[in-house]
Amino acid sequence: MERQIINKKKRVFSVEPNKIPPSEVFRRKYTSHLVPALKKLNMNKNSPQINQLSVKHEVDMALALSAQEFSWSRFLLQKLSSSNNPTTTSSSSNGIRIQERSGKEGGGDEDGETEEKLRELQKLLPGGEEMNVEEMLSEIGNYIKCLELQTIALKSIVQDTT
Amino acid sequence: MLEGLVYPESLSLSYADMSVPERLKGMQQHQQIEVLSQSSNDSPELLQILQFHGSNNDELLQSTFSHFQMLESGFGTKYNMDFGPSHEAMDGCISRTSSCQIDPADTMGVMLKNSVESRAISLKNKRKSEVKTREEEKTDKKIKVEAETESNINNKEASSDTSKETSKGDSEIQKLDYIHVRARRGQATDRHSLAERARREKISKKMKYLQDLVPGCNTITGKAGVLDEIINYVQSLKRQVEFLSMKLAVLNPELELAVEDLSVNQFQAYFTNFPVVIASKPSVMVDLPLFPLDQQGSLDLSVINPNQTSIDAPSASWETQSHSLFASVLR
Repeated sequence: MERQIINKKKRVFSVEPNKIPPSEVFRRKYTSHLVPALKKLNMNKNSPQINQLSVKHEVDMALALSAQEFSWSRFLLQKLSSSNNPTTTSSSSNGIRIQERSGKEGGGDEDGETEEKLRELQKLLPGGEEMNVEEMLSEIGNYIKCLELQTIALKSIVQDTT
Repeated sequence: MLEGLVYPESLSLSYADMSVPERLKGMQQHQQIEVLSQSSNDSPELLQILQFHGSNNDELLQSTFSHFQMLESGFGTKYNMDFGPSHEAMDGCISRTSSCQIDPADTMGVMLKNSVESRAISLKNKRKSEVKTREEEKTDKKIKVEAETESNINNKEASSDTSKETSKGDSEIQKLDYIHVRARRGQATDRHSLAERARREKISKKMKYLQDLVPGCNTITGKAGVLDEIINYVQSLKRQVEFLSMKLAVLNPELELAVEDLSVNQFQAYFTNFPVVIASKPSVMVDLPLFPLDQQGSLDLSVINPNQTSIDAPSASWETQSHSLFASVLR
């Protein structure tokens, strides 16, 4: 029975269809998107060098496709389709900048500080700059969740291949 | 003292014939009144008054308020200190089935009935607790009629504006869609500050939710610190994803071999139900076992506190359908 299920790659049937928790759903979707894409990448590139950027691209694409209920995923898809280069964030430099800035401001204008932080947050979220603050805050919530699930899924894939 | 309200009684005959739903239809353009009528099905006189007042909403409300200000404030329930005695009087009389926005008109009807005292005393205690809980409640959506009636006493235009606001969109009685913005003592009750306050409360609610989501944020007070933590957390998650994808890129040639095993393992895990290894948040939400992951890895997931109960409350605030994914998880 398991073999049959595995052979039908596109669709996942469960014993208790109504009881699949959403995190598991996400994981399934994610791996079902990513793994075939990676395989394809593997096969297409005849040269042994797998481009890291293309892998990242696939990773982001899989994330966007697995979380289509959220508006940030639409923005992410847009970004991915418009440019083949994936959106890389200079995360470490951003982090440093934040610390410096908050250090300088110190007892400065509180509202200004919060607003700057909100803007930083907006930059992190795909499409965040086009949203207003309220919307952005809720989107950040589920974006964080999806990122967490994505890391778990990636870890499992990586571990599986080693 | 009830001179101003004499005429409704003369209308009693004409309105008595109409059934309740008909009356309701007639009042559709006046949200406020409509809401009131729904809750007071058993008081036909009240409906008459409401219908009558429906035509001339604001002024009559104001005049009745001014009349009520002269009433004995013997009913004692402290409703809202902004209103002083008049509201206390109304307060005690209310046969309340729903939220406080109904207060003013309800009291009008009840006063006319003159069966005040017995009700007042029985409702006094109930009202107090209701009021307290309501004052502690956070706001949900659009600005509510109660805010409107508060400002009524001060200025008329606010009420007309807010009555427009309440009647836009759905013409049915949808109390659940309204925000309960309680103007506390000493706070401005004009429309803009109410809207701003509602907005701020919404944002702080979301911030609270994010605080629960991000590990280690509970100890930090102050918006800036929490935001900082969130930013750092998101950045670290992104870095992890980058790192893992880099690793994957390196390992990719071997991927093909492992793919079949991967899917098999996943399904096996699902079916055989062997124990979960990670105490991370996502796996706690899942009753079914996740793939056993290396817990010594760079991932901080073990730190993630499965703080499910605190997540429950804000989930209700995610209104759109698109958030049903996490709403069901968080329940």
